[in-house]
Amino acid sequence: MMPIWTKSGKKHAVTLLKVQDCHVLRYISKEESGGKTSKLLVGGKNASPFFKSKSAMEIFEEAGVPRKQKVTTFNVTDDAIIKPGTPLYAAHFRPGQFVDVTAKTIGKGFQGVMKRWGFKGQPASHGQTKTHRRPGAISTNKAAKVYRGKKMPGKMGNIYRTSLGLKVWRINTKHNIIYVNGSVPGHTNCLVKVKDSKLPTYKDCNKNPPFPTFFADGDENLPEDLYDDEIFQFTDPSVTYA
Amino acid sequence: CRTSSDGEPAKFQPPPKPVIIDRQKQREERRFLSPEFIPPRGRTDPLKFYIERKDMIQRRKVFNIPEFYVGHILAVTTADPYANEKANRFVGICIQRGGKGLGATFILRNVIEDQGVEICYELYNPRIQAIEVLKLEKRLDDNLMYLRDALPEYSTFDVNMKPVFRLDHEEVPVNKLQVRMKPKPWSKRWERPKYNIKGIKFELPEKKMKEAQKWNKPWLEFDMMREYDTSKIEEKIWKEVSEELKK
Repeated sequence: MMPIWTKSGKKHAVTLLKVQDCHVLRYISKEESGGKTSKLLVGGKNASPFFKSKSAMEIFEEAGVPRKQKVTTFNVTDDAIIKPGTPLYAAHFRPGQFVDVTAKTIGKGFQGVMKRWGFKGQPASHGQTKTHRRPGAISTNKAAKVYRGKKMPGKMGNIYRTSLGLKVWRINTKHNIIYVNGSVPGHTNCLVKVKDSKLPTYKDCNKNPPFPTFFADGDENLPEDLYDDEIFQFTDPSVTYA
Repeated sequence: CRTSSDGEPAKFQPPPKPVIIDRQKQREERRFLSPEFIPPRGRTDPLKFYIERKDMIQRRKVFNIPEFYVGHILAVTTADPYANEKANRFVGICIQRGGKGLGATFILRNVIEDQGVEICYELYNPRIQAIEVLKLEKRLDDNLMYLRDALPEYSTFDVNMKPVFRLDHEEVPVNKLQVRMKPKPWSKRWERPKYNIKGIKFELPEKKMKEAQKWNKPWLEFDMMREYDTSKIEEKIWKEVSEELKK
């Protein structure tokens, strides 16, 4: 995570996400998947092909791509279908867009009720016998049962969570890095899924994004760094309030 | 003269070789790599530090950040929308330098009208207009937080101080000042060996000093897991940074 300053002098914290060897693996049509839209399977980060069975490697061999560590699906409209085997780059996103980031949270193991659900526990002294971090009562008398989903101790973390509505401040096309506002679930160097935001306030935020995606062999040569309009770039002189 | 005392033809004595002290080389040899360039120990990708360093060097090309250590007296002018003339000047002694990369900070302390003031500035904040080093002097410690519990005369510096003129560009002088403290209680127990402070004149009784040594952990010095040898990393980063800045 890094600090970033706007032209008005405000500081924001920014997470760096690297797009590492992403390829489109397969196209699944609407009828085949049985959903509302067609799907595209996308794989990230190369991994060794030796520890998987042949059936698992079939998808990668079809697309002509080395084995990927993680495979996710994206629901895609019919006009945004991409041929399997095309690489995906960070320039698919542009500064000023809003993005949702999904990842597996840091696993905390088996945790008690105070850390997992934020219960208040009991006082440390004034006669409490062996009860300082316990949940207390778990149901009422009339119910005569414990409801499903009752908050109790258990394994915490290591589940998928999404941070919604994060602004993209800057894109580095040379190293394929996306600078995303705020924090992102997961530990450092974990695999993360980045999608266009589903929030209704950001529905019309994308002004002419590269559609269906940014193709590297095209004619447009992008500069190494793409900045948002409000970012203070370090080549400019210091900020003054005139 | 040609004839020696023996009468034989005198051997040619070459003149003594002059000893050349190359001042330029000595000046170049002294390198200072700002501590925020050194990446902390961790599992982060080195690519992230490389990109951060590029940004830091970019900023240094536009705005000069002078070499300074803890104990120097600095004057910092920041842009402030709510001040007269939109600029704010603060003079103070640097107590602490923290943070790595773009978020590196330093704290300046001064006592203004009997009120101690500490301001934490970010080195790479674009609102900073100028950093001037008024007086160069290193102190015995890396962290001068104990000035909060010292007598206020040790933290007062004149706001309109003129920069002290320095001739040599070699060796920052070390001020071996021993600071006198206010009566206890202090904000931290500075006499304990954990803080390893050499710049205080402790006027505590012997018994208290001995009791403080109970918290001594002499084995930490030999702990190999805590070693972080930065010499090679520093070399590489120094080369990179100096090459970029010369361009």
